[in-house]
Amino acid sequence: MAAGAQADTAADVAAHSDVWVFVEQHDGEVAKVAWELLGKGRDLADQKDEDLVALVMGEGVRESGIPDEAIARGADRVLVADDPIFEPYRADPYGEQFRHLVEERKPDIAMIGGTHTGRDFAGRVAVPTHAGLTADTTELEITDERYEMRRPAFGGDALATIICPNHRPQMSTVRPGVFDTPDPDESREGEIEGVDVVVSEDDTRSEVLEREVGDVADITDAEVVVAGGMGLEGDFDPLWELADLLGGEVAATREAVEEGWIEPARQVGQTGKTVRPKLYIAVGISGAIQHVEGMDDSETVIAINNDPNAPIFENADYGIVEDYAEVMPELLELLREELGEGQEVTA
Amino acid sequence: MSDGWNIVVCVKQVPDAAEVSIDPDTGTLNRADADAVMNAPDYNAVEAALEVRDAVGGTVTALTMGPPSAHEVLRAAVGMGADDAVLLTDRAFGGSDTWPTSLALARAADELDADVVFGGEETTDSSTGQVPPGIAAHNDWAQLTYVEDLEPRPEEDRLVAKRDVEGGYERVAAELPVVVAMEFGENEPRTAGLHRKIFAETDFEPVEWAASDLGIEDEVGLAVSPTQVGGMATAEPVPREQETVDDVEKLADRIAEVL
Ligand SMILES: Cc1cc2nc3c(=O)[nH]c(=O)nc-3n(C[C@H](O)[C@H](O)[C@H](O)COP(=O)(O)OP(=O)(O)OC[C@H]3O[C@@H](n4cnc5c(N)ncnc54)[C@H](O)[C@@H]3O)c2cc1C
Ligand SMILES: Cc1cc2nc3c(=O)[nH]c(=O)nc-3n(C[C@H](O)[C@H](O)[C@H](O)COP(=O)(O)OP(=O)(O)OC[C@H]3O[C@@H](n4cnc5c(N)ncnc54)[C@H](O)[C@@H]3O)c2cc1C
Repeated sequence: MAAGAQADTAADVAAHSDVWVFVEQHDGEVAKVAWELLGKGRDLADQKDEDLVALVMGEGVRESGIPDEAIARGADRVLVADDPIFEPYRADPYGEQFRHLVEERKPDIAMIGGTHTGRDFAGRVAVPTHAGLTADTTELEITDERYEMRRPAFGGDALATIICPNHRPQMSTVRPGVFDTPDPDESREGEIEGVDVVVSEDDTRSEVLEREVGDVADITDAEVVVAGGMGLEGDFDPLWELADLLGGEVAATREAVEEGWIEPARQVGQTGKTVRPKLYIAVGISGAIQHVEGMDDSETVIAINNDPNAPIFENADYGIVEDYAEVMPELLELLREELGEGQEVTA
Repeated sequence: MSDGWNIVVCVKQVPDAAEVSIDPDTGTLNRADADAVMNAPDYNAVEAALEVRDAVGGTVTALTMGPPSAHEVLRAAVGMGADDAVLLTDRAFGGSDTWPTSLALARAADELDADVVFGGEETTDSSTGQVPPGIAAHNDWAQLTYVEDLEPRPEEDRLVAKRDVEGGYERVAAELPVVVAMEFGENEPRTAGLHRKIFAETDFEPVEWAASDLGIEDEVGLAVSPTQVGGMATAEPVPREQETVDDVEKLADRIAEVL
């Protein structure tokens, strides 16, 4: 019966404590979302009066300075699994090592960055431990002792609150760019612990033949974002010029990325990055809900589109209905006059 | 492996994304009236499955879990060229989160003796992207997600994938059986041929399995789902000025003001 199944699978909730954050790194480069999660995790751990634990996996990570930086950014304890099997990343060794640690130490909450890596292996922890796994969360809070994970659904039309009352840990992948990065505080103290590595090459079912890391531009910190879409037909040059002039970054829609006009690291939206600049300029972008979701927290939005009915205008403060090819040269010239060449925006 | 691979492709029925809207009067989500369609990214999964079958031989079986009406998405897959289809339908599946959903699909894929299981990147309704890795985890199989391109190597019993690793790519060889989640938009899904389409819509009947046929009647549904939807709010549109200017000079002024 269902109730019996529930009793069989539910966790001993009281036996679980602490907040865990997975610190994603590749070849010594930490994914920024890991620091964002330590910031959020610190708040949650303080509220629960429990420890914040960072988990670092990789080869040579013990001596890399990453564990110390995790402490400086808020962790009380850092668990380090250092072994060549963890470099380059593969789902099965990461998932299995993480699963082992979860079963051994019983965290109450676990957060993993919602990157391709995080979303790839999170299930390999949640499935065997029968943990709840909330996808792509954008808000996390404890209300009346209940942990609530909120996430956009239906392409961003709705915000669902997900709870996990009877299973532990309460896991989530978290969208990059939604939480602030805490500044490192070198005076913070914490404990670094090397853990036993429980996976070996015999347990893995895949082999990385080649890995090419491309542009890993960080558009999430920019004060000005100039974004382009299909309306540009590949002509991103004026956007780079404008971004240069305003001291900002260039971004794009998923469609423009798929065309190969620009690097995937610059995609904004549901399956890309979330940006929160002072100024977002959307050029030749229709304003699909999956795109708007990633730029909705911008302070001011400007739209340039030749279709007066494009939904982007409903999501913009100021817009102009005109061909971008007409607007951009004039706009660049006017702004050069007004701001002077090389003007930097001050936050 | 002269007789080719057993390929399973998972397709999900979702409300038509273009028709899910916020009711301007009540502020609530309108999805009850939206037509049910195949999840858009699943067309890429079906296309990839058919391409691999055409390269190595074998069969493609479309698989869905859903209400009886979900046979429509199986017909769409058969119309595109899938050889057969299985519908997992049972009240016991109701309220399943990704844990039991991926369990049911995993058991069915095992029952079908799958060498490769395809899925889409994520759905347009709840978009967790957790089901394909969940299938791999339940069966302890290899997995390849965010796949852009595939190179089957039947002589090695391996499938090589080019994966998007955010800003770059990697090529990974995985042993069979393997679960593949195709990246949305990476291939051109074929359109159904007329004869195949007529067959799919008139003569074809999918196989139906209930939870008990897979021996998982106590392991699915709301009761074993670790997550619960505790509430849903329509996302509030961010208030914007929505002012259109008629010349570029005014636009430049606005930009300068903001900075
Ligand atoms: C599961 C899923 C996830 C997705 N994730 C994302 C995501 O993360 N990010 C994202 O961006 N999209 C995402 N999408 C895609 C999204 O639905 C839209 O298809 C996409 O955002 C449209 O891109 P676009 O605005 O560049 O192109 P279009 O929608 O084609 O719009 C082009 C616009 O340019 C205008 N235009 C044309 N010519 C000119 C001109 N000369 N001058 C000025 N304007 C012109 C047109 O009027 C039109 O409005 C996702 C979709 C799905 C199904
Ligand atoms: C608003 C809302 C939020 C939710 N959030 C969560 C959450 O955070 N965590 C959680 O565990 N559950 C969640 N659920 C439950 C989840 O939606 C269901 O378990 C759903 O059946 C599968 O998830 P998905 O649509 O996200 O699939 P995804 O993992 O996004 O789908 C990827 C691919 O898996 C295949 N696939 C998925 N479902 C099926 C199916 N039924 N039949 C055949 N193939 C399929 C398709 O190939 C699809 O392209 C949520 C439900 C709602 C309504």
